[in-house]
Amino acid sequence: MSPLLTITNLNKIYHRHQPDEVIALRDISLKITAGEVVALTGPSGSGKTTLLSLLGCMSKPTSGSIQLRGRLVSKLPERFLAQIRRTSFGFVFQQYNLLRDVSVLENVMLPLYPSNQSFRVMKKTAGAVLERFELQKMMRKKVKQLSGGEQQRVAIARALVANPDIIIADEPTAHLDSNLSEILLGILANLNTEGKTIIIATHDPAIYQSPLIQRRVSLRHGEIVEDKNQ
Amino acid sequence: MRRQLKILEYTLSSLIRRKAKNFSLIVVYAFTIATLGSVLFLTHALKEEATGSLTEAPALTVQRISAGRHDLIPTHYTTTIKHLPGVKSVTPRVWGYYYDSLIKANLTLIGSNNPPAELLLLDGNLPENPQECAIGKGVADAFGPAIGDNLVLEDNEQKSNRFKITGIFQAESSLLTNDLVILPETTLRTFFSMDPEMATDLVVEVYNPREIKTLAKKIKYLLPDTRPISRDEILHTYDTLFNWRSGMMLAVAIAALISFCILAWDKATGISATEKQEIGILKALGWETADVLTAKFWEGLVLSLTSFLLGILAAWIHVFVFAAPALVPLLKGWSVLFPKFQLTPAIDFYQLFVLAFLTIGPYLVCTIIPSWKTAVTDPEQIMRG
Amino acid sequence: MILHPGILSLLSGSLLTLLVMLIASGLGIRILLSWDASSSSEGQIILERKTWLVSTLVNYALGFQIFSAFLFIATAEDIHQLFVGAMCATGSLNANLVGWLVLLIKGILLFAAALWVILNRLDQRTEDCPLVRQKYFALLLLTPLVALDGYLQWRYFRGLQPEIITSCCGSLFSADGESVVSELAGMPARQAMLLFFSMTGTHLIVLSACLRFKATILRPLLFMTAVLMLFISLGAIISFISLYIYQMPSHHCPFDMLQSHYGYVGYPIYAALFIATLYGMLPGICQPLRQHESIEKEVDRIERNWLWFSLWATLIFLLISCWQMVFGSFTLLGY
Ligand SMILES: Nc1ncnc2c1ncn2[C@@H]1O[C@H](COP(=O)(O)OP(=O)(O)O)[C@@H](O)[C@H]1O
Ligand SMILES: [Mg+2]
Repeated sequence: MSPLLTITNLNKIYHRHQPDEVIALRDISLKITAGEVVALTGPSGSGKTTLLSLLGCMSKPTSGSIQLRGRLVSKLPERFLAQIRRTSFGFVFQQYNLLRDVSVLENVMLPLYPSNQSFRVMKKTAGAVLERFELQKMMRKKVKQLSGGEQQRVAIARALVANPDIIIADEPTAHLDSNLSEILLGILANLNTEGKTIIIATHDPAIYQSPLIQRRVSLRHGEIVEDKNQ
Repeated sequence: MRRQLKILEYTLSSLIRRKAKNFSLIVVYAFTIATLGSVLFLTHALKEEATGSLTEAPALTVQRISAGRHDLIPTHYTTTIKHLPGVKSVTPRVWGYYYDSLIKANLTLIGSNNPPAELLLLDGNLPENPQECAIGKGVADAFGPAIGDNLVLEDNEQKSNRFKITGIFQAESSLLTNDLVILPETTLRTFFSMDPEMATDLVVEVYNPREIKTLAKKIKYLLPDTRPISRDEILHTYDTLFNWRSGMMLAVAIAALISFCILAWDKATGISATEKQEIGILKALGWETADVLTAKFWEGLVLSLTSFLLGILAAWIHVFVFAAPALVPLLKGWSVLFPKFQLTPAIDFYQLFVLAFLTIGPYLVCTIIPSWKTAVTDPEQIMRG
Repeated sequence: MILHPGILSLLSGSLLTLLVMLIASGLGIRILLSWDASSSSEGQIILERKTWLVSTLVNYALGFQIFSAFLFIATAEDIHQLFVGAMCATGSLNANLVGWLVLLIKGILLFAAALWVILNRLDQRTEDCPLVRQKYFALLLLTPLVALDGYLQWRYFRGLQPEIITSCCGSLFSADGESVVSELAGMPARQAMLLFFSMTGTHLIVLSACLRFKATILRPLLFMTAVLMLFISLGAIISFISLYIYQMPSHHCPFDMLQSHYGYVGYPIYAALFIATLYGMLPGICQPLRQHESIEKEVDRIERNWLWFSLWATLIFLLISCWQMVFGSFTLLGY
């Protein structure tokens, strides 16, 4: 099976050639096949978020290449990266990054604005995803009126609304109690059975030791120290 | 196209969400537009009034010049002019100014043979007997007399003359007829102690308006001490005067506009943390830089148009309902000419176009760079909170 | 010089546009000097972001130019009262002959800026942006044109003296003068119509051929028909279209139709002509750019839209300008 994502000799250096230069990633090579569930682990500052943002086409590497389904994306202009982000990736951020003063429905619709869908179709699509997570009743509520668990589901619904193949989650359980972590794992397991590829950065053992995780990649100081299937 | 409209929709909802922040901007913006708008509306309306009242003015007026000043003209000049080809009629006019020290105002006294056209008699009739008069509405308001009362005017020998008021009139444009008093011509001559062989000026009517220029030349040639003035010439003088005035005031108002731009710049640059966060989220979710720029463009346009509508509405009310109380002090030169005026509301697309060009353009330019700065927010930042 | 609100806003608008273009050119020079598509250094990423600023600046400048072209003509209309003998914009423009030059430069600027904006958009849609150098070089040529426009405009307004006696459309566009325009006005109507309709007809035929066939020769041909159509149509407006619009046998003015008296019918006429020409020119201009594979792909994708735009605009132009000819009571032929 051909890999979904291939990265070769990837380096990411912040503030290059300046006194405060930081080498966040060093010579990383990695292949991820479709349908895999990968956990990126490592201590804080080891480069997990940096690697996720490169994989998710949020930023460009200093050197090295990233290929998505065989297409070289690391050199594309930013507008193409944005296009790839909204069609191929669903993001669940650490703090969810929802617009707090905006209704649940509008939050979920956000990734669809730059598409060619009509407004009506957009609403329908978003409504369907919300229904799946039993959020349809609070569609009109503002995000800040929701509980932590509900916000988490809204964030996941938003990540799924454009029907991406790859879900990227950065420490999704960092601020959750174990009960909510369980629910999240359940949802992710469901998504995986639908064929979605999932990449999670975490240092929560409850996550990376769960049976859902098929592969664990450990980072330290920007380098891969371990890559094993579980 | 559809994408643009969807982004417009998003912009509208985010503007409503931040109404408190935008409210102050709209107020200041609308105020600036109202200032500029008042200047434009006022000058335009005054110009219209003046030219409007002049269209009824005689095509050619002949004055006599003596020692470089306007002097009385002998009535026998009438015959000389009448014999020129193309002249329809020549009428001598008797009129003059009268300063009333009591109400401190200038009145224009005019003989009843040549009252200005398009007079609207409100009440009563024009004077027929000596010792009678008709007055303009402005005069009635200033002195407070009604029909049947007496108007008391002092002549050169400090002798009081009483005139019975038989009518009150108004013109469509009150600008030039406000201070008018109509008296029978003979009475007026006595009052001004004017020689019966003399008149204030001559009014010439012609058959073909194209010949006015040649006629004026001929009159000047035959009667070298006269000055023929055509209506067109007066119109041009007015136009120049008005444009100059409004230009001056506009220059002042543009200073206001510039200070507004500085404010707008400041406002656009000082983007709040939550807004920056919001743009970052949008970009992380796949909005392109161009989409954010579009959103910012719509935002600027919606804010501008809202303020524009509010501003011109305010300017309209200021000028046409309240007669521009804030600008009248700037109009010293005019207020002598036009003691009191009620302007006829007139809006012209060209004025609105100029106003829009002058106000919306600079605002949009002020927001380009700040908008771009937000639009290129790095989505990666969002990953790190 | 006349202190007139319209003149003041035109002059300040020109200054503003020039400022915007100067900023854009400054950025353009920096991009030209250090653009390196193969690099992914932070510097290159910043440059890439700056290209968006430049596009936005030029887009706004173009928008400004469009409005200022309208405002210029409207102002010339408005100030005609100041000049003895002027009845419309023609008279005001005759009062200081630089006015005609300003009008010409504004026309050229509109086409140049619109082409830049469209080609820039095309380039931004490709993954490798092959036109970066050409684009920013062209930008450096566009800016002096904006400056020239601003300068001439200033010269024009400064040179206006209210006492000037000028000649208006009646004499300039009359059939018995000796200038080129008089020749146009004096041209027999039947001949002028024949030329006009065969030209627009040719343009429409070449357009349809372009829509149907991919042949390379057709695109430059279309470019030529579009440009020819522009000039011949402008001539036709003076020669006979204006007569039908005003319903008068000898009123040849190209500006009066912009007045409210004629329902502002001139605006859609000129706008449609502009769009028809612009989009007719584009496929031809893009022909040499097809050497870049990515541009070729984009052009192939979008060209049909351009052709349709041009087609529709030509038809609308024909419809509005010839409406009176077909349905009006005024007849010119047969005199
Ligand atoms: N914008 C930035 N500028 C400078 N250094 C950065 C920036 N972003 C991240 N870093 C550095 O890169 C390293 C990796 O960070 P990160 O990927 O966030 O680690 P993790 O997610 O594993 O905690 C850290 O040392 C961090 O300080
Ligand atoms: Mg992290």
